Amino acid sequence: MAPPLSPPALRRLLLLVLSLLITSVAAENVEEFTEELLLRPLPDRKALAHFHFRSSAPPSAAPSRHHHHFPKAIAQLVHQFHIKELELSFTQGRWNYEQWGGYDPMSTNYAKPPGVELWATFDLPLGEIDATWKNLTHTLSGLFCASINFLESSTAFSSPRWGFKLNEGNLRYGALPREAVCTENLTPWLKLLPCRDKAGIASLLYRPSVYKGYYHSQKLKLASSKSFGIILDQTLTVVLQPDSVRGKQLHSADGQLQPSWSMKDLFNRKLSGKCLVSKSSRVFFEIEKNIVDKVDKSGTEASWTNEIFVLSSAPDRVLKEINNMDGHSSSICEYDVSNYNEDAPLDVGVTWKLPLIWSCTPAPYHANRFLMGSGNERGSISLSFISTNMHKQLFDVSNDCSIKAVVFQVVPWYVKVYYHTLEIFIDGNNKAISEVVDKINVTPSEDKLFPGTLEMLLRFPCSMQSAALSLDFDKGFLHIDEYPPDANQGFDIPSALVTFPEFNSSRSYPETDSLFVSPLLRTFKEDGVVKSYTEVLLVPLTTPDFSMPYNVITFTCTVLALYFGSLLNALRRRTGEEERELKKAAGKRGLIPLLIAKLRRRKVDPVPPGSSPASVLSSKLLLKVVFVVVVAVAFHHFSNS
Amino acid sequence: MASGRGGIPGPSRPCRLPLLFLPALLPLLVLLAFSFSPSSAVAAAASPGAMHNNNWAVLVCTSRFWFNYRHMANTLSLYRTVKRLGIPDERIILMLADDMACNPRNNYPAQVFNNENHQLNLYGDNVEVDYRGYEVTVENFLRVLTGRHESAVPRSKRLLSDEGSHILLYMTGHGGDEFLKFQDNEELQSHDLADAVKQMKEKHRFKELLIMVDTCQAATLFSQLHSPGVLAIGSSMKGENSYSHHLDSDIGVSVVDRFTFYTLAFFEKLNMYSNASLNSLFNSYNPSMLLSTAYYRMDLYERPLNEVPVTNFFGSVMKIIHTDSGYSGFLAAYNDGILLSTEDNILNHAMLQNESSQRRSNIEETEEAQLRSHGLTEVLLEQLDGKNADTIAMYGLGTMGILLAISTWLSM
Repeated sequence: MAPPLSPPALRRLLLLVLSLLITSVAAENVEEFTEELLLRPLPDRKALAHFHFRSSAPPSAAPSRHHHHFPKAIAQLVHQFHIKELELSFTQGRWNYEQWGGYDPMSTNYAKPPGVELWATFDLPLGEIDATWKNLTHTLSGLFCASINFLESSTAFSSPRWGFKLNEGNLRYGALPREAVCTENLTPWLKLLPCRDKAGIASLLYRPSVYKGYYHSQKLKLASSKSFGIILDQTLTVVLQPDSVRGKQLHSADGQLQPSWSMKDLFNRKLSGKCLVSKSSRVFFEIEKNIVDKVDKSGTEASWTNEIFVLSSAPDRVLKEINNMDGHSSSICEYDVSNYNEDAPLDVGVTWKLPLIWSCTPAPYHANRFLMGSGNERGSISLSFISTNMHKQLFDVSNDCSIKAVVFQVVPWYVKVYYHTLEIFIDGNNKAISEVVDKINVTPSEDKLFPGTLEMLLRFPCSMQSAALSLDFDKGFLHIDEYPPDANQGFDIPSALVTFPEFNSSRSYPETDSLFVSPLLRTFKEDGVVKSYTEVLLVPLTTPDFSMPYNVITFTCTVLALYFGSLLNALRRRTGEEERELKKAAGKRGLIPLLIAKLRRRKVDPVPPGSSPASVLSSKLLLKVVFVVVVAVAFHHFSNS
Repeated sequence: MASGRGGIPGPSRPCRLPLLFLPALLPLLVLLAFSFSPSSAVAAAASPGAMHNNNWAVLVCTSRFWFNYRHMANTLSLYRTVKRLGIPDERIILMLADDMACNPRNNYPAQVFNNENHQLNLYGDNVEVDYRGYEVTVENFLRVLTGRHESAVPRSKRLLSDEGSHILLYMTGHGGDEFLKFQDNEELQSHDLADAVKQMKEKHRFKELLIMVDTCQAATLFSQLHSPGVLAIGSSMKGENSYSHHLDSDIGVSVVDRFTFYTLAFFEKLNMYSNASLNSLFNSYNPSMLLSTAYYRMDLYERPLNEVPVTNFFGSVMKIIHTDSGYSGFLAAYNDGILLSTEDNILNHAMLQNESSQRRSNIEETEEAQLRSHGLTEVLLEQLDGKNADTIAMYGLGTMGILLAISTWLSM
């Protein structure tokens, strides 16, 4: 008989079992949903609101497994198309890199080109990717009420190797610069959230205020792997003009003052509680580094209330950025939505006590793109970089230092770019290409088959103030069926992407909770390579007069008809014959007058001599009789047999 | 979503039935053969025999450009109405040729109004547009109707109706004599529309179809329709224009067309349970208010209009089908064959069909004239297949003799 376990040992064992159980539950990774909102005042009297929803599903063997709140449509999409990563963004308006900053996680991750941008990497053999991409575009177009299916044709997408994102040839990229973005795109996007817009942070999304903004970008990012399952990040970034009575009063004196605003002014709604299935529901108010600077200079500490501004309610936590490069760091105020309810709704806002002017940190270069030349035959695209001298603050500028920039640009086939005409001017001086271009990858366009893709790694000297690249192109001709209904508006060249791989905009805030890390703050910490998108270019192409074919056809037909008609008339017409025929017709009687005459029991006029004697008539009659009899007999015979 | 697809198994084509089981049905056949009038043959061929069990709506705005704001408002008003009366979003195919709600010229972003009092935002919070912008083409429109899509096209962009469906097809835009313009650069001809509808009928894609068109000379668009079960309403007769109702000076353009405005005025008074008939809708159009004459084409429609509630097209039915065993809607075709192999069932079916064809023949009296030639050949073929070919041959011979006599007499 085994000795009984002593009580402390038993307790220890129980504890061990319990802790094992807990860890196994934690490892099982149940589906999670978090919702977060980040607010930030912008220097040009606007406000930025960034919604971040993350749903995650644990890895599963069977694709048709039950989901608690992870959207099934997305899970099926990932399994069906073997998606590794996917990003779909709907954007209206252009991110203002000068005013709203180009060197923070927001501008690098959530500033997107106008219209629709879609890229995806697949976990498939290279040969199957194009067909899968085609089906994926159709599925997404059905899912998000947009014409994403226009990206299916090979003229619309490209497969960059390193200019957009480093990959092994399994990435496809497509953009539709003119795609409209409106409520119908937001509706299906919200349907992916477990609470839709009925509760939680998404209930702030009052459509007219969201779409009134200067910029809005709605993004869906998917990542899937065997180890962590599927992670779905849905973000919505809007730049709004706070429109409040308080604000107006304050800034009526001169245009430089900041308006005071709160969530109610931005969205016309207050936040009355969290979405109940969410694991965490938080609102952040971020105070930019440059504001913190000014506040520090004024002598007070930059917390939620100071001499310059005051937040409308006390935050649950204030986090300071971990920054070891220089003394200044931005800070973030955190509100936990679960502490608020219908009776005490959350309405985060800011009231400015003193006028404040600040600016956001720009990217090392402002990238702009222009169209040059005139006429309908040719033109050129020019890409300009203007230094913001930002790097001089960051690095020690020595003479031989250089800054890398990667340019990625897709050009539709009807804009036929001559890549050999690439010219580079640095500070106004024409430079040899080999001096500046480190690496270049060109996929020339092919008519009606592929778009042209340009990937280019440039190396600028640190002392450079401005650079300009130019490429000449010819304008192609489209087939008459390929013109859109509003062809005279012109054709769009999608935005080019400029990346500065040496600059990292990531921002890390201290983790307060060891068990849970906010997904929004985690994305701030990860992948912060500074990027900026250039403008969309509008190229006017030769547009035919669409009524021309009809005119040509009708005119030509008329001319041909006149010609052939008169020719035939001249060749075939015999006037003598006609007269004779006329005479004959005058002599003949028609069937009906004959009938009438018969009915009136009058004698028929004597027929002209030689036309139809009685013998001929009787033989005709006989023939008819014989014919009918033969037909009848044949019919009878066949129907019997 | 698949619930509507299977529907109720309709009995197999009626005209073929008596011939297959000839020996068992000889007395009945004789009765049929003699009572066979052309119209009843047509009616029997046309009646799908399926119950009305689901509703679909295809709403099309064919006009691009800001100044055609009212066409989008028209379409969205109808969208709102059918949604309010119970057709779910997945059974509505909404085609909008341009983006007006988030158009930079729109002073009210994400909102579309059909009245200058701005009481009602038609765009709402939950609009789902299936085809928009450049996708709204004649080709896509015809593909939706006929169901001939590429395999990759998602379900939400397909009209998945069946032989028990009532479909509302609403179109608005600029049109003319026998055409409707799409996007200002393509045209849908009345022949195209009629062909598509005919194809739909052949493929059993609808039981009844209501076509409502708000455009100039809308009546001419229906001139080629020949498929039974189709009802058409147009806003104006040939040679007439359809006018807009009023201008909104805040938006800067006209916001609704007259015909749609008065249609909506009629529907705003109704709810999901009301019994207003199609007749009352038709009578509500006042030519002096419309400034055009609304046109109705009813000769292809079988039921009397005062007995058909408008909710048959603008609302939705959700019929519950009671089954003792598991759902077998998708196996309908096979079940039919098995059922018919027992003799009792055959008799019952035949009787029912006979009855229904008799009944329909009364209703279809008006339609008869148009379809007679087609019907006659069918009857002839039917008779020739049977045993009474002899009599036909005899009669034929006799007729020929008479004809011969007449022709001889005339040419004397």
